[in-house]
This record gives sequence, structure tokens and C-alpha cells, in this order.
Amino acid sequence: MHTDSQAAIDTATVLRPSRDIRYRRIDGEAVVVRQKAAEVLVMNEVAARLLDLADGRSSVGAWIDVLAGEYEVDRETLERDVLTFAAELAAEGMLEIADGV
Amino acid sequence: MSVFGDSFLINPDLFPARRSGEAWGSREIALALPGGPYRFSGLNADQKAAVRERFGAYCGTDGLGTPAIESVLFRAAEADFRAIDVRGWEYALDLDATPEAVRLAGLRLVGRLDWRPRLAGALWTPDGGGAAFAGIFENFLRVLVAYRLHELGGAVLHCAAVASPRGARLFLGRSGAGKSTVSRLAQEHGAQVLSDDLNALRLKAGAVTVEKLPFTGDYGDPRTPSPAVPLAGLYRLEKDTVDALRPLSRAETVACLLACSPYVNADSHRRDELFSDLLLLAPAQKAWSLRFSLDGGFWPILG
Repeated sequence: MHTDSQAAIDTATVLRPSRDIRYRRIDGEAVVVRQKAAEVLVMNEVAARLLDLADGRSSVGAWIDVLAGEYEVDRETLERDVLTFAAELAAEGMLEIADGV
Repeated sequence: MSVFGDSFLINPDLFPARRSGEAWGSREIALALPGGPYRFSGLNADQKAAVRERFGAYCGTDGLGTPAIESVLFRAAEADFRAIDVRGWEYALDLDATPEAVRLAGLRLVGRLDWRPRLAGALWTPDGGGAAFAGIFENFLRVLVAYRLHELGGAVLHCAAVASPRGARLFLGRSGAGKSTVSRLAQEHGAQVLSDDLNALRLKAGAVTVEKLPFTGDYGDPRTPSPAVPLAGLYRLEKDTVDALRPLSRAETVACLLACSPYVNADSHRRDELFSDLLLLAPAQKAWSLRFSLDGGFWPILG
């Protein structure tokens, strides 16, 4: 099932970590606190990297440019994977579309 | 959106703004808990007796003449509190934190922790003694000790602590995770259960140590203090039909500790500091996910 957040995300979308979450990187992974749900999660290195890149200023396309220099994967695959993962993180309330961008 | 205290108080807006009121009496008592002593004044004779009965050898006179964490007990009116049917109800205190203070409301209690700049507490209740008062006092004390240990770089953890000659093992998990079950199984194997509910973790002399707290469920003696014990291992509980260990990453360990740090982990003003403290307390190479069955077969695989 696709939510509005998933449908809205493309390479021009600018995302930021949800206001509800706080996170801290530890040895590559991220410990994420969902404040309203009083829930603590651990996110793997890739998800943690996307949280870092979601600075509320850079577009998802800019993330892909950065990640292309970090991972040995063809651009098309990378773009598809990043868009899918970003949409999942948005659907789970980890990322949100940045205001006023 | 719920208003702080509304579940327990008739008029949450009238929550005491400062540590003042009518004391219940002129008695004092000190409790020798980690981070203390914790000195309470303003008690009447029945309240003091109830605290002594509940906390046994933790109570003494040692803290009365020395620097201590000071708290005062005040009267509250019966009419201030909602009547609550507690059948089938899971009790959780209502907390509201700012950088300068923490307010708490619960069953027949309101309380404050204030930093002036030193931590000091205040408890208002309509109960003048007996077992019900002891429970109210304990609920306040749990929060006070959690914040005091946080102030000292430690943490109160929802966990069962089991001591053996090798040190103390912590089994972490929220209600229903299996802390009391593991405690029973460990006790059957001859280990000493410090508490099956809340224990303290602190750095002392460069070593991560476990300290017993008198906050127990079904296992552990809540009236007898015990010396601090080095941490031997930390286990995140997962009930299963098999017994197995898997090492936790550092992030998983910190996440587990954070999830099991009551009160302070819900305090947005202190969570970053708590994160940093837990990073120091998280044992390297000593933390596992423990899947355990109810037949006690997990004990030998702990080593």
C-alpha cells in the first residue's frame, strides 16, 4: 500500500528527519527514539546514512550524487533503491518532507 | 492532547509551583540508596514507621547529619485526587519535565524534583501512614533515585540483576519480557537475585557496576542492602521456545539500555545526556540478545 508520503517522493523531494524522532549514530548504526511512541529502534548503516543526508536542504537527487561516490552500484539501481528506501522511511514516520522547500 | 496530571488530579492547574505546604509531622528518615543518602523530613510517626517497615535496613540515621538529597513531605487534600478504579489498570506515573524541575502526578500523590541548583524533592499525599503510604512513598522514591543517578552519570534500569561470584548479570526488558521468570530460573540454579524489577548501573572507580535497589517485583529482598557488584554481562530478553545467545552491537546495547531507563528516557531535556551516559555504561563484548525457554535451559549457555 502506498501512502501520500511515498507517492510524493522523487529526486526533487527534500526530506528531513521527522520532528518526532531523535537519533544518534553509534558505530555506523543509528539509535532512533520515536518520542510520541516512546519507542527505541536501531537502524542499519544504510538507513542511518539516509538520516544523515536528510538535512532539510538537499534533495533526494543530491543524496544519490553523494551515495554514487560511496557505493559501487550503477546509477539507475542506486536511484531506485534510494527512492524506495526513502519512501519506506517516510511511511514509517522517520522522514518527513521539509517545510518551505 | 492530554493535560499533565489530568488522569489523577481534579485540578491539574493547581499543581504546587514550589516546595511548600503543611508538613505531616516533624519526623525525619534517611535512606541509604545508591546516589544518596536520601533524607525525608515532614513525616508523622505512622509514615516513618511505614517507610521503616517497607525499606528495612536501608533506613537509618546516617544521612540525618550529612549532606543528602533532601525531600519534604506535605499534606494533600483527599478532594484533590480523582477516584480511580484500578482493577485491570496498568499504573504509570504522569511526568512533566523542564530543565529546572520534574513534576509528577500519580495515585494519591503529587511530587516535584527541583534543581536549586542541588536536587531536592517534595511529595504531597493525603495518606498519613500504612501500606498505601509506603507504596506512594516508593513511587516517588523511584523517580527521585532515577534522576539522582542520572545526575551522577548512572542509570536506573528496568532489569533483573542476578549476582554470582563472576559479577552481576543484567536481564533487561520491559514488563512481560521475562525478568521475573529469568529471576526464578536463576534462583533455582543457586544465583542470588538482587532485584527482578529495577537496578542501578554506574561507573565506579572506572568499572561499570551494578547496584541493588529496593524496588522489586516477586524476587529480591527489598529490605536488605547489598554491595555494588561488577557487571558481568547484559542480556536483552526475548521469550522463545529455544535457548540461544547472539552478541548485540553497540548500538543495539545502547538502544536496549535507553528503552529500559524509566522516567529519564521520556525526558526530552535530559535524553541527550542519558544517551552519552549509556554509551559509557554500555559494556563492550558483554552484551547479548538472550532467547530463552521456560525450562531454564538458558542458564548453562551464559557461561
